[in-house]
Amino acid sequence: MARYGMALDYKNCINCKACEVACKEENGVELGAEKHRIWVGGNDPKGEWPLLDIASAAFLPSQCQQCEDAPCQEVCPTHATYYDENHVVRVDSEKCILCSYCMNACPYDARYVDDRTMTVDKCTFCSDTRLARGETTTACQNTCPTKVRTFGDLDDPNSEISELLRTREHFSLKAHLGTNPKLFYLT
Amino acid sequence: MKIGPLNIPLKEDFSLKSILGFEKTPLNMLIAVATLAMLAMFVIGVANYLVHGHEAYGVTRQHPWGLLIAVYIFFVVSSTGFCIVGSLGDVFGFKDFTMISKRAIFGSIVTILAGFAVIAFEIGHPVRMMIYNVISPGLTSAIWWMGTLYGLYLTFMIIEFYFLLNNDMKKAKIFGLTGLLVGLAAHSNLGGVFGFLNARTISNGVYYPTYFILTAFITGIYLSFIVMGFRYKLNFSDEKVKKLLEGLAKIQGLLISILIFFMTWKLLTDVYGGMPTRADVAHHMLHTGAFWTEVICAMLIPLAVILKDFGKSPVLMFWASLIGMVGIFFMRYNLVHDTQVKPLQMMKITEYQLPPEWIEYFPSATEIMIALGGLGLCILLYYVGTRAFNLDEEEGH
Amino acid sequence: MQVEVSRRKFLQGSVTLSIAGASAVSTTNLFSGEEASEHKPSQSGIPSTITTKTSTKKAEDVPYLCGICVNKCAGFARVEDGIVTKLNPNPYFPKSRNMLCARGNAGIQTMYDPDRLKYPMVRIGERGDGKYKRVTWEEAYDAILNGTDKFKGIKQILDEEKDNRATIGYCNGEGLSKEGFEVLVGDKIGSPNYVDEISICLETVLGGYVNTIGTYGEADLNNADYLIIAGANRAEAIITPDTMDLFKRSKGRGLKTIVLDPRFTNTAAKADRWYAVNPGTDLAFVLALTYVVLTEELYDKDFAAKHMEGFEDYKQHILSHNYTPEWAAKLTNISAKEIVKTAREFMAARSPIYYQGRRSVFSKNDFQLRRAMAIFQGLSGNLDKKGGIIYGQKLALPKEDINAPLYAQVQSRFDKEGIAIPASKTGSWIVFRNMVLEGKAPYPVRAMFMRKHNPMSGVPNTKKTEAFLRKMDLNVMIDILPSDTTMFADVVLPEASYLERTSPVASYGGLEPAIVQRKAAVKPLFETKVPEEIYRELAEKLSKPLWEITQKYDEDVQDDTKGMSTEEIEKYYKENGFDLAEPWEKPVHEQNEEKIVKAFGKEAWETLEEKGVFYPNMDKYHQQLNPNEFQYYPESKKNYSVKGDSLKVVVNFKNLAKKGVDPMPTWHDDMAFSVPEGKFRLVTGRHAQFTQSGTTNNMMLRDLIPTNYIWINNQKCEEMSIEFGDKVEVKSSIGKVTIMAYPTNKIAPNQIFMLHGFGGSSEEMEMAYGNGANDALLIEDKIEPVYGAAVMHETNVEIRKV
Repeated sequence: MARYGMALDYKNCINCKACEVACKEENGVELGAEKHRIWVGGNDPKGEWPLLDIASAAFLPSQCQQCEDAPCQEVCPTHATYYDENHVVRVDSEKCILCSYCMNACPYDARYVDDRTMTVDKCTFCSDTRLARGETTTACQNTCPTKVRTFGDLDDPNSEISELLRTREHFSLKAHLGTNPKLFYLT
Repeated sequence: MKIGPLNIPLKEDFSLKSILGFEKTPLNMLIAVATLAMLAMFVIGVANYLVHGHEAYGVTRQHPWGLLIAVYIFFVVSSTGFCIVGSLGDVFGFKDFTMISKRAIFGSIVTILAGFAVIAFEIGHPVRMMIYNVISPGLTSAIWWMGTLYGLYLTFMIIEFYFLLNNDMKKAKIFGLTGLLVGLAAHSNLGGVFGFLNARTISNGVYYPTYFILTAFITGIYLSFIVMGFRYKLNFSDEKVKKLLEGLAKIQGLLISILIFFMTWKLLTDVYGGMPTRADVAHHMLHTGAFWTEVICAMLIPLAVILKDFGKSPVLMFWASLIGMVGIFFMRYNLVHDTQVKPLQMMKITEYQLPPEWIEYFPSATEIMIALGGLGLCILLYYVGTRAFNLDEEEGH
Repeated sequence: MQVEVSRRKFLQGSVTLSIAGASAVSTTNLFSGEEASEHKPSQSGIPSTITTKTSTKKAEDVPYLCGICVNKCAGFARVEDGIVTKLNPNPYFPKSRNMLCARGNAGIQTMYDPDRLKYPMVRIGERGDGKYKRVTWEEAYDAILNGTDKFKGIKQILDEEKDNRATIGYCNGEGLSKEGFEVLVGDKIGSPNYVDEISICLETVLGGYVNTIGTYGEADLNNADYLIIAGANRAEAIITPDTMDLFKRSKGRGLKTIVLDPRFTNTAAKADRWYAVNPGTDLAFVLALTYVVLTEELYDKDFAAKHMEGFEDYKQHILSHNYTPEWAAKLTNISAKEIVKTAREFMAARSPIYYQGRRSVFSKNDFQLRRAMAIFQGLSGNLDKKGGIIYGQKLALPKEDINAPLYAQVQSRFDKEGIAIPASKTGSWIVFRNMVLEGKAPYPVRAMFMRKHNPMSGVPNTKKTEAFLRKMDLNVMIDILPSDTTMFADVVLPEASYLERTSPVASYGGLEPAIVQRKAAVKPLFETKVPEEIYRELAEKLSKPLWEITQKYDEDVQDDTKGMSTEEIEKYYKENGFDLAEPWEKPVHEQNEEKIVKAFGKEAWETLEEKGVFYPNMDKYHQQLNPNEFQYYPESKKNYSVKGDSLKVVVNFKNLAKKGVDPMPTWHDDMAFSVPEGKFRLVTGRHAQFTQSGTTNNMMLRDLIPTNYIWINNQKCEEMSIEFGDKVEVKSSIGKVTIMAYPTNKIAPNQIFMLHGFGGSSEEMEMAYGNGANDALLIEDKIEPVYGAAVMHETNVEIRKV
């Protein structure tokens, strides 16, 4: 029983989207422009050519933030969204009635409809693929060229992620909403 | 008609012939044809949905709730409204309003059935919903409470209607009161569905749960004018009817005034409260035609008609109520759309796109067909009801 | 029975995919099209869905090398029930360092592309109209040899040309099987007329560096602390390991990064400073940097004295030309102050690198630019050492001897017009094509043998390429997808994709050298074949008939074989290399084993087989440092410094003068950047989610980069009332395209940018066809004067809203 989280050294991100494709191939994610479990956001630089604001053109890899207090889980009428034994927010597609409430409740736009199963789909931290086979990395972490991501057990003080969070400053997305994400952005 | 121990007093002449035996005036024919057309659309829409799934809808990842949710809310608000109006007489004992009770309670059943018919094709797995609602109840979910309570509410309404038909006013009152309370709970939970969204500051909070009850009452009164208008063919010479409608109009005046007061403060705090993702959404909302259609149709026009002579023009009120219902539809649509209009992910996710600004949504043909189908279903059921049951107050009661 | 295939049915079971609205697409039954009843291959190896969720079952992990671009990153293909479900990075390869990019991950979709070439085909309609019939391999080879009623065979052509093998031209794309094709058509069949990607790619970079510091080298970005990266976009044009090393350390993490690029790229977004340099003026920038360094005497004097040949001449040259920062500021759009600052910072840094770049030739001065950059690097003394440009070492593989026959009748190559130093092996695409087209070739070039190469998209001026292909009597294409160029082939031979074939072992040198092997993850799909098998079979088919033609016309052979018996002639034929198939007698896998066992022993072979990578002491050296990082070689074993005293920077290259090339980098006034009023300079480039025309039909990547747009300065757009998504017509002197507009502040008002590789004309590539615009229709076919490489950024265009 672990408490999985992920630290993202997001300033390394070059918006190459290797993570997104690896995720799709690993987890058999449906194709389509709005079907993605993870993505990379980018901002155009502020200013006018040629005096552009480099600092404003950041890339931010994002996905389900694996909240400890997940709004999506709270609003699910049938417990289709649940925390698994490793504190990963999962969707039981057998129970999902596709009311889409979770999609509206998620502050991170992390959920979408899988049209093949007509249920809501989201990041699973590769729980039913890689982790189930005993692997210790998610597909997105493993493939990343600049090694943005570190996945691991937050409860294990000796894990790489625990070490990173002890030693590096970090923030969470929309922390003011009280969702307590388990994704940490290293600064 | 007897079904086991139940006695359902149908009209003696109730038959297919009586259903088809309406007066063939041009207006009636038009309504009949329109209703049939809407029912046909329902069938086509549903068939299209069954083949293509949610792709037949205009809903997206960022805007998962579309027209059908709005129409569902429209119908269940109508139902709650009918229920409140119906309860005035037989639950709270306001004698002037008793004459509409049976009709309103029947209306509440019909509208909620139409609502369920629509939502069945919005929820991806309605059958699964019924099963897992029971075996895996999500007690922290406003949708669970709303759905479950509406299910109970429908049951109570049917029982109440049964006793009303059988003139068992005592039992009708008990079930009426229970039904009303459950209905109000269900309905405020529907408001809660939006009120609990912490990511959507425009909807978050106590406003919608309470506002839903208020607007339900308003909707109920509009619908009462409409059904009474058809019942009496706009000839309101009967003193009792006049009295009823004048009373309703006065209440409506008060309710609309309260609503305007509520809305004004909601908007003032939205716009000037400076909450991120609330102020800008409110601004955005104020610049849409849909918002002003809601304000003008659902509030200003009917209120003007009421204020003209304090509710003494029932015919004019009938027309104002029709306009009012159009406004109420926009009210529901706006609520659903404005909740989702602000993107939760504000960065570009591909190079070649504009930065996310506002989420666009327009219902697809399939959604529109199913929505109109709901209306058709509602009209059909109500009409059949008027043929099958005596919805007027029993004489000598 | 042969089934005539109409254009629509060119490939079995093309499916119409609705891209709009991001609809779900399924490949179910994709490969059981209308012809299935005729030739039903056993298709158990095709997945039923586009992406396949990996299972928890046991699976095979096959080491392979990625082939979706030039990098050759290593991976493991996860194979479940004969289907590749996932590609994972291989942690053993020091070059790719346990990573696969978006394209690498999407390689599965290339293999399972429904539009793939599946069977050999022979043209039955007119060139370019897409009418082909499916044939057997034997029939296809026969058509190449003997022709059909629609086109001539190679036998007749060579007979008519009296065994002048130069009548055959050939072109080839990059890859591990590239060399084999060169052996077949060049060494064995005897054609000298070879063109490949080099003359539309990085020829001047390689030439400039090799001729100056003796190598292209490897930038040790892991240890550098200052980087100038000009015109190279490592965030979007990914090169391993540079991309990983660079961005892990950019922005306050140990590697100060200065980016020069006309547009604000994703690399610029990661930089400390970005200079919006005018296209083609980098040379002025480098010369001014050099001026500052020389006048302020900031350079490494010991190094200059010891290793830089002609340093004093160069100093004199720079100073006398007065390449001051003020002078360069006017040309480059970079202020004098910034130039001075950059020069000083560079020389003050511990390990500064002026990144060599690896890209297409952008301007005519590119060779001189590269020389100037290499010399500037030399001035810092940061060569052949940790944190600098290093030379590295390579693990030697046994050399293969090719028994190339000599043909007396073959004439030499001619594509030299306007070129100072014609390359010996591969020529200039543009010059070769244009001379053939304009009738300037001294003899007729009548056949093109092509493999994995798409000049219709890659070589500037598509119209000329099309006319060139139409002029041929015979076009043969070996490829994976029905590219724009494939549609002009007479015989199409379908090749196995990189996941379906074992390729010849390769040795990657540098800081941390390794030997790698690509192993077939699955058997070739449909009736495709691995390239080496195609080479052998084609060689077997052609060998004897072409030998007969040689015997007929080749006087040397006639003299040699005069009076010989049949057996003796057969022996002569074999001994003198006229047996074309001899290099492929053994399958690739067997050849690999022989080579590795011979060079490194049996254990090495076992390691290579299992891990896909081998280098001496790998078992000891290779360690996982943390979940994300590995050690390949211990610090002390890395090849930081290998040259010692032999290190030489050729500053004054006197021999160049004899060829009419400046012996030292010199600025000429005609190099200045200028765009006439009302026009725009067209610049092109790459993107991290696709590899030119090769991936535009990849379903996975299409979700990420659906099409190309034209970047137009946002303020310019306001003037012209152009909004995002508006269609604009872009017109140059050679053609026009229509493309959607992308107003952005990331480009100058007098420049436009579009991604290269879109706008496919092959209707058989469902997703690529007609999608976006092909920049090769606009780019004028200009060459730079040293090697005749295509110049990509010297075309001005007009745009108007349509």
